[in-house]
Amino acid sequence: MSTKKITLLSSDNELFTVDEEAANQSLTIKHLIEDTEPENGVPLPQVHSKILAKVTEYLIKHANEPDNDAAAKEELKNWDDKFLEKVNHETLFDLILAANYLDIKGLLDLTCQTVADLMNGMSVVEVRKLFNIVNDFTPEDEAEVRKRRKRGTKTIGPSNDQANQSNH
Amino acid sequence: MRRHHHHPISATASDAVDLDVAHHDLQRGKKRGNYSCGRCGQPKKGHVCHVPTATTTTITDTSSSSIVTPAPVFATPSPCPSPRHPHSHSHLRRALSFEDNTSYFQEEEEEEEPMEIESDWVEAGGLPMNCLWEVLRRLPPVTLLSAAKVCKGWRTCSRKLWRAAEELRLKVPATIQVGFVGSMLQKCSGLVRLSLTMESDLDATMLACIAFSCPNLEAMEVAFSDRAVNRITGCLLLFLHYKMLTSMNDLLSGFSLVFNCPNLKEISLDFSRSENDSTDLVTMVDGLGRSCPRLRKVHIASVHLSHVVVLALTAANLRGLRMLSLILGSGITDASVAAIASIYPNLELLDLSGSSISDSGIGMICNEFPETLSRLLLALCPNITSSGIQFATAQLPLLELMDCGMTICDPCSENLSEESTLNNNGVRKLNFMPKTHNMTTSQSHLVYQKLIIKHARLKKLSLWGCSGLDALYLNCPELKDLNLTSCINLHPERLLIQCHGLENVHALGCQEVLINAINSQVCNNYSSIDDHFPTKRLADGSKRVHVPHISSPQSSGIEKGRKASISLCTVIA
Repeated sequence: MSTKKITLLSSDNELFTVDEEAANQSLTIKHLIEDTEPENGVPLPQVHSKILAKVTEYLIKHANEPDNDAAAKEELKNWDDKFLEKVNHETLFDLILAANYLDIKGLLDLTCQTVADLMNGMSVVEVRKLFNIVNDFTPEDEAEVRKRRKRGTKTIGPSNDQANQSNH
Repeated sequence: MRRHHHHPISATASDAVDLDVAHHDLQRGKKRGNYSCGRCGQPKKGHVCHVPTATTTTITDTSSSSIVTPAPVFATPSPCPSPRHPHSHSHLRRALSFEDNTSYFQEEEEEEEPMEIESDWVEAGGLPMNCLWEVLRRLPPVTLLSAAKVCKGWRTCSRKLWRAAEELRLKVPATIQVGFVGSMLQKCSGLVRLSLTMESDLDATMLACIAFSCPNLEAMEVAFSDRAVNRITGCLLLFLHYKMLTSMNDLLSGFSLVFNCPNLKEISLDFSRSENDSTDLVTMVDGLGRSCPRLRKVHIASVHLSHVVVLALTAANLRGLRMLSLILGSGITDASVAAIASIYPNLELLDLSGSSISDSGIGMICNEFPETLSRLLLALCPNITSSGIQFATAQLPLLELMDCGMTICDPCSENLSEESTLNNNGVRKLNFMPKTHNMTTSQSHLVYQKLIIKHARLKKLSLWGCSGLDALYLNCPELKDLNLTSCINLHPERLLIQCHGLENVHALGCQEVLINAINSQVCNNYSSIDDHFPTKRLADGSKRVHVPHISSPQSSGIEKGRKASISLCTVIA
């Protein structure tokens, strides 16, 4: 089987070449190829070269997913772990966006899972910091929530005191 | 997670829980600053940014991810009235599973219908909403609760996730009280399957919570952790591990509540085998019939199953009933079979293992279910003889699975085993006889039985422990799995297996000559694979057909037979 090469064009006009099989993991790219048959590379104006480099790395590695070879699967999983190990948070979010835009299910799963794992064990404040989110709850909101809680069951876990301490 | 760090104002709050408060504020147009879209700077209200189109692909994620997180510290939320989101058209179906404390969270996303993207739903903190969805749905429920506290967009998203949850697996630690689970369940109004692992007591309040919060529940499973089991004083359902409390009133009110699930299709109740189990099965079955008219599969295992219980079940007239499994009930008789047959003529699976039905009961089964019955399990029914089994296979053309384990037993060999155990206990028995000797000097009333089965569709046949079986002739072209475990008296020369499709023969605990005979017949004739797996295959009619007790009395014998059989097998193979 001949391996057709696909050229991808990042937002800053850098070219990446991958096998068609690898590229087809991205449904967006696949459809773009089918619909437009671009000659000078598939333009991906939403993806910066820095991110696209990572994405193509993933695509190439995952081009031939093993079906029932447990060892190969394990190896691929380890590779996945390593793949995101050294990535900083900003890049990770960009990868999610890219995976979402390019419609690469495997990569989206992987990156979202990584972020979820990251959030696991974080406090609300830490999560806000991580995602660069401003708390938009008004004091009234919070007062209301507190009131509701008081009204409800008196079953407060062993938590609150500790939680408070850790806040201050 | 741990600690819920709250910002200073909400000292005790786990704001997570109550999501609808501020939302209503929003509806009322409460004075909040106007927000701008984080990506393009447009005013956020009514603005749709780069959120991918509303057609989210259907995701089938069977490989559930499982995360173990450190023990959470709970801020217990209050049960809040189920938030009714004005925009909740999107029925995002998903599964959310949750075992907390050691909070595994497995999610199985089953199906996502297109989401409707709403204006205030667009973007929350850097990620477009569908990416956020992807992230949040991977969180353990406890983290999801606190994620709702991050900002309003996240709160909306998490609320939708809760509502879209189809499956929830929840581990309830001992320190947590009902209110917590209750409030969590109230968020998940779309729940179809619920599985609870209880480390604390289960009481009527909890059942009430479940019954009221989850009207669409189709399957529920309650398991008890090891720690909880030790504390249990009442009776315990083994399979469903459903715990009863000592107070009968609580129990019954709990039951009538929890079974108030009109869509419940499958129920499995495994009661403890202990004699002091005082559950009123009749009342229970009666309530079951009234509140769950759509039941398809019923599995009840209890030593207290009796004819009266069967009558209550038939009085319930469950129209959809297709699979009925009433095991361990020695009080179930031929009359019970008649009652079942007259009310439920469409059964596909019938499991009356451990009952005292006889060949005439089988006759009734054959008369009533020739068109539907494909699985018949009659293990441990001592009153059944080989002619009954033969009759069943002759009269039920659709039969695919038949389990007759421990039916045709050899009383002598039972005596023998009793004697040997006595020996083990240090009691001297001088009249211990070797097996061969035993066969010749068998009691006059003991007649070894022969079994002839010719069946076009039978796929699995289990004759384990049929020590009274002496001759076997099988002509079943579709048969894949044959279990002859512990058929110790089966005579090699009176064995004829003509089954082209045979894949597995279990012959543990058989005499070596017999194993040789099986091997030569199966291998020579049809070059099929001949495996002697050291396992006792459970009839796989359904998961409800597990008969856990069966394996235990056998296990010692298996241990003995295992080595011999394996080595033998390797020699031949």
